[in-house]
Amino acid sequence: MIRIPRMRTGASTGAEVAAEDWLQALRASAGIAVPLGLLVLILCVILGAAKGIQYTLDAISYGSIFALLAMGLALLFGVMGLMNFAYGELIMAGAYTMYFTRSWGWLGMIVITIVVVTILSLLMELLAFRPLRRASPVTLLITSFAVSYALQELAWTDVLGLSHRFNATIGTGPQKGVQPYPWLTHQFSISGVLISKLEIAIWIVTLVILLAMTFLLRRTTLGIQLRASTEDFRMAQLVGVRANWVISAAFGITGLIAGVASLLYIFRNGQVAPDIGQGPLFIAFVGGVIGGLGSLSGAALGGFVLGVVINILNASLPFKLHSYALLFAFVAVIAIVVFQPEGLITVRGGALLRVWRRFRKPVTEGAPA
Amino acid sequence: MNVSLRKTWESLARRVWPPLFLAAFVVVTWALIDRFGGVVYTEIAVKMFIMLIIVLGLQVFSGNSGVLSFGHVAFMAVGAYMSALLTIPTAIKTFTYLSMPHFLKSWIFPAQLNALEGTLAGAGFATVLALLTAAPIVRLTGVAAGIATLAILVIVHEFDYQTSAVTRGTSTQIGVPTTTTLLSVVAWALIFIGVAFAFQQSRFGLRLRASRENERAARSVGVRVPIERAIAWTISGFIVGVAGAQYAHAFGGTFGPDDFFFNNGLNIVLLTIAMLVLGGMTSVTGAVVGCYFVTIIFEGFRRWEINGLGGVTPPAGTSNFVLAFVLLVTLVARPGGITRGKEVPWPTDWRLPRRPTPQRPALLARFRGTAAANEPAASAETAPTD
Repeated sequence: MIRIPRMRTGASTGAEVAAEDWLQALRASAGIAVPLGLLVLILCVILGAAKGIQYTLDAISYGSIFALLAMGLALLFGVMGLMNFAYGELIMAGAYTMYFTRSWGWLGMIVITIVVVTILSLLMELLAFRPLRRASPVTLLITSFAVSYALQELAWTDVLGLSHRFNATIGTGPQKGVQPYPWLTHQFSISGVLISKLEIAIWIVTLVILLAMTFLLRRTTLGIQLRASTEDFRMAQLVGVRANWVISAAFGITGLIAGVASLLYIFRNGQVAPDIGQGPLFIAFVGGVIGGLGSLSGAALGGFVLGVVINILNASLPFKLHSYALLFAFVAVIAIVVFQPEGLITVRGGALLRVWRRFRKPVTEGAPA
Repeated sequence: MNVSLRKTWESLARRVWPPLFLAAFVVVTWALIDRFGGVVYTEIAVKMFIMLIIVLGLQVFSGNSGVLSFGHVAFMAVGAYMSALLTIPTAIKTFTYLSMPHFLKSWIFPAQLNALEGTLAGAGFATVLALLTAAPIVRLTGVAAGIATLAILVIVHEFDYQTSAVTRGTSTQIGVPTTTTLLSVVAWALIFIGVAFAFQQSRFGLRLRASRENERAARSVGVRVPIERAIAWTISGFIVGVAGAQYAHAFGGTFGPDDFFFNNGLNIVLLTIAMLVLGGMTSVTGAVVGCYFVTIIFEGFRRWEINGLGGVTPPAGTSNFVLAFVLLVTLVARPGGITRGKEVPWPTDWRLPRRPTPQRPALLARFRGTAAANEPAASAETAPTD
């Protein structure tokens, strides 16, 4: 069953709609803020205040990237039933674009990376997934593997001869780097807590994208068409939603998100390699499942939480235990898929909304005449 | 001759025709490789037949139930490790597995099985794993099943990787007897072609296929879908376990955890699934055709890459890229797979003009009585009202 952010039913006036939107946003942020607050508290108790806060901030910036990726995956899954394993290669493409444009100044680099990744995403849809739209999910999955594999091989073998063109050697060695900008990654201290501008940028960018996505999905025609298609693709087509347009748009949006995510990811760890997309894809995928791939907010939340948890585990657990942690994480994944297939973290609305409505409307008005 | 008797004979012959045809195909391949193939082609053929066994195992489960599985390679890992552990000579085992816990030492160290016993034992342990994991898997379909089976694969891989006391971790195995021959893998492949067909035609297979076509309709006539799936899952666990055991004793007897996982792009996990989907999931013919098709394309380009042809040598990695490209094009051109999920047709049917194929496979006709389950509104109109 596929769920999307729930449709409003009771609201009638514009003000009411806006207020409910805010409430929903409040609910979602409370869902993140409460566990995070607890986490900060625990870490502060164990490690001391400054270090605890720093760990958390670091984990948040790491988790934010996976929130973006998981949301991109969930969007495609919802609209097309496609579990896109070629998504990691969008990050890889972004990484290489950054590598080639590293001397073009940061603005040029950012713009071109986002444009290239978005175009690649649209091309993927046009060449590989459009002809297979009616195919079974399994065929789609295998197709996405094939696309992923082809793109990776392209990067390994350097078929396009990019290395001559850009006077660099790609493919021959796996470790290529994008030099971090010192002004971006330089850490400065706020009363003992080390923060870099990059981390702040990651939080802001993630927040902006999440808000923009919320706005897009709730307020624009395209967004409503997308949500309708997520819920029931065939029905949406019957009432006049153009399939090509919606699916292209979904791929475009996910490409945009992947472009931004690859920028943030590569700025953060600097490494460029043909298989660089696999790790983040895996985490985003599992996180999306935990959160529920059927819902965009759930998937984003799942990716975020998993990213945060992994970051903290990496930082705090001894190596041996950390390696078995993955094993237990996947036992948990099986349990979730079997017992809670819609995701662990469902943003349950309703209760708060009802309280608010009661508060808003006089009791007599609601009573039957 | 009695007409009805002849018809009986023909129907019987038609029934056993596809497995016999495929078996003949495999035997011819074996004879050709055995006669003309050198060391290189023999090794490629051994690899291909091990893949074929895995694909057949996948076909038994995924092909008949329609449930995708990434997890079968985990059975392969179990089969490989157990078979190796039980066949390595005791003298070597005692100093390569020093830190093995005592409850395993006590029965693994003295064990010295021969090749066949080792294979069966390894496959047996894989079957046990399949039985243990059946409970969650059989309740899932679609992407959820894909994720859960993937989780099984990751769990087994992590275990192999981390528990170096039992698996030697990333170090290579020492002293694994290299008993796998072309003949042994061909023999197993032939057996499993038969098994896959027998299962497909058996009542279990029929019920499972019915649930694949329409789960609700199948349930409504009393098919216990989870149980049927569990049966197929266990059988396929055994088949893939045999493949793992054969793999352990081939190629110099060196293998590690990463042989049974996604390593670098296309690999044993995805390659076998790709073979099955490419050939046509729902038929055993599809499994065989897909396996041959992928191997020939990949190895063909690989030979070209290594040896060159007419002075032209493509850059390294071309075979991988071509394979991905061919996969993509084939899937786009024939989403149902090369065979479109059909078995090899009876020879006299080959030249018949192509009849318009019905939209739904004929299997549904057997459950036409329950079509009502899908269309409650229609059934309400036609149902007798007394």
